[in-house]
Amino acid sequence: MRSNIAKLATTNEAIVAYTIVALSMAIGIINPAFREFSTVITLSRAMLITLIFAVLQMMVIVSGGIDVSFPAIACFSSYATLRLMLSFDIDSVFFFYAVAGLMGVCFGLGNAFLIAKMELPALIATLGVSSVANGATLAFLGTREYSNIPEGVDQLSRSFLFSFTNSGGITFQMTSLILIPLILLVLAYLLLHHTMLGRGIYAIGGDRFAARIAGFNVIRIQFFIYMVAGFLASVGGVTFTILMRQGSPQNLMGSEMMVIAAVVVGGTRITGGHGTVFGTLLGVLLIAIVQNNLIMVGVPTHFQSFVVGLIIVLGTGITSIRAKRVANSSKV
Amino acid sequence: MNVLHSLLRGKERKNNLILMLLALSIFIAMTILSPRAFLRPANLKGMAVQFPEFGILSFGMMIAMISGGIDLSLVGIANLSSIVAAVIMLQMGDSVLSIVLGILGALAIGAACGVFNGFLIGYLKIPAMLVTLCGLQLYSGLGLAITKGPAITGLPERYGEIANGSLIAGIPNPVFVFLAVAIAVGYLMRSTVYGSHVSFMGTNEVAAKYSGINNLKVTIYTYLISGLMGSIGGILISSHYNSAKSDYGKSYTLLTLLIVVLGGTDPSGGKGNILGVSLAVIVLQMISSAFNILRINSFVKTFVWGLILIAIMLISKLIDRKERR
Repeated sequence: MRSNIAKLATTNEAIVAYTIVALSMAIGIINPAFREFSTVITLSRAMLITLIFAVLQMMVIVSGGIDVSFPAIACFSSYATLRLMLSFDIDSVFFFYAVAGLMGVCFGLGNAFLIAKMELPALIATLGVSSVANGATLAFLGTREYSNIPEGVDQLSRSFLFSFTNSGGITFQMTSLILIPLILLVLAYLLLHHTMLGRGIYAIGGDRFAARIAGFNVIRIQFFIYMVAGFLASVGGVTFTILMRQGSPQNLMGSEMMVIAAVVVGGTRITGGHGTVFGTLLGVLLIAIVQNNLIMVGVPTHFQSFVVGLIIVLGTGITSIRAKRVANSSKV
Repeated sequence: MNVLHSLLRGKERKNNLILMLLALSIFIAMTILSPRAFLRPANLKGMAVQFPEFGILSFGMMIAMISGGIDLSLVGIANLSSIVAAVIMLQMGDSVLSIVLGILGALAIGAACGVFNGFLIGYLKIPAMLVTLCGLQLYSGLGLAITKGPAITGLPERYGEIANGSLIAGIPNPVFVFLAVAIAVGYLMRSTVYGSHVSFMGTNEVAAKYSGINNLKVTIYTYLISGLMGSIGGILISSHYNSAKSDYGKSYTLLTLLIVVLGGTDPSGGKGNILGVSLAVIVLQMISSAFNILRINSFVKTFVWGLILIAIMLISKLIDRKERR
C-alpha cells in the first residue's frame, strides 16, 4: 500500500503537477493578480485550441508516429470551408465542422497511406503533407483574412457557460467552446483505455511486430489514428476560427512545436507506447501557464520563446533520465 | 572521366545520373523558355549567392541523417551564430580583426549548439528529432532574446563582401565556400575513420556499439560538424543581407530535408553521398529560380516542394521494394 502511494507520488504526472503548483505559487507571490479566479478563465481560453491538438498528437505519438501536418490541415480545411460558406451563403455550425472535418479526414488518409502503406518515416511524410496543404491554402485559396463569419456560426463565440467579475470590475466569461476539448479528452480516455482499438494503439507504439503477432491489424490501426488526427486537426482549426472570429490561412502555422512539447512534457514518450490523457492535460496546462504568465513575473516578451524552449528541453531531459534509470535498474 | 566514374559508383550512380540529367534538362528548358531572364548575369549571380546558403545547411542535415538522426535545428543555429557574430562585430568596430573574431565567434556558437544537441541525443538518448526540434526553438529563442526582435544592422561593409563580393573571375565567393565545404565533408565521410563509423552507426546502432565504436563520441562529433555547417550557413546568410535576425531562412528547414532526401540519403540512416546532395542543391536552386522567372506565386513553391518530397520518397521506396523481391 505504501509503495503504491510512493509510486503514485513519483509518476510523471505527479512531477508535472508539482511543477505546476510550484510555478503557480511563485507567480502568485510575485503578482497577486494571478491569484484571482479570472486566471482560470484566461488560461482555459489559452489552452482550448492547444488541448484539441494535443489530444490528437498524443494519440499519434503513442502509436509510434508523429504528426507535424496538423496546423496546415487545420488551416486548409477551416479556411476552405469558411470560403465555401461565405460564397454560398451557408450559415450552419454543423456544416462548418462536418465539411472541414471531412477534408481533415482526407488529409489524414493521405498521411496514413504514406506512413502505414508505404512505410515512410512519419516525420518526413507529414512534413511533406504539411508543405502541400500550406502551399495549397496560400496559393490556391488566397491570403485574405475574413472577419465576416456567418452570423449563426459567429453566435457560438458569444455563448458563455458562466461569467465572473473581478474586484476591478472587469468581467471574464468562460466560452462554451471549452466543452469541445473537454469532451475530446473524455472520449480519448475511453478510447485509449477501454477499447481493444485503444490498447492496439499502445501495442503498435510499443512494438509493431509484437503487436502484429498478437493479432492487431497494424495498418488498419494506423489508418484509424491518422484519419482521426486529420479530423481533430480540422475541429481545432474550425474552433480556432470561431473563437478568434476570424478566418486566416496561416495563423496556426508554427504551433506544432508547442503542441509536441506539451505532449512530451506531459509524459508521453516520443518513441511511442507510453502516454496518458491526464498527463497531456497537465503538460498543456504547464506550457500555457509559462506562456501566459512570464510577463506577469517581469520576463520580457522577447525572452519567452527561449524560456519555453528551455522548459521543453528540461522536461524531456528529466523524462529520459528517468527512463534511462528504469532501463538500467535491476529487473526482478 | 575516370575520376567521374569513381565518384559515381554503384547504386549512387543511378540516382546521381538522374539528378545530373534533371539539372541539365531544367537548364536547357529555361534557356529555351526565357533565355534573356535566365541567362542574365544578375540571375546567375543571384543563384550563385543563394544556393551555398541552404547547400551548406544541407550538408549538416546529411551528416545527421547518415548517423541515423536528423537535425532540424540548423536554421536556429545559423541565425543564433550570425547574431552573435553581429554583436561581436558591432562591439569591435569596423576592422578585419573584428570580422575574423565575429566569424570565429559564430563558429564557436555553432559548435557549442551542436555539442549540446549531440550530448542530449547520445548521452540522454532523447530522439534526435525531438532534441533538434527543441533546439530550433531554443536557439531561435536565444537569438530573439539578444536582438529583441528587429534585425541587427550596420555590420561592417567588408563583412557583406563575403557573400556579395567576388575574388576570382567574377564568380561570387559563396560558390568557393560551398566547394571547399563540400570537399572537406566529402573527404571526412569517405576517407576518415570517423566517416565510416558514422555510417556504421547509422546502419545499426547496436551492432556498431558491439563492434567497439564509441557511439556517444561519434554522435557528438556528428552534431558538432552539423552545428558548424549551421554557423557557416548563418555567416553566408547574414553576410548576404548584411544583417542578422532570429527568423531568417525559415523555409530552409524543409528545403534542406528535401535536398538531402532527393540527393539519395537514406532517411533511416547509414547511406548518403556528398555528390548526390550537391547535385540536388543545384537542381532545387534551378527549380526555384525557374519559378521566379516564370513569375509563379511563391506559395506554389511551398506546395511543389512538398509534392516533390513525397514523390521522391515514394519512388525510392517503390524501387527499394522491387529490388528486394
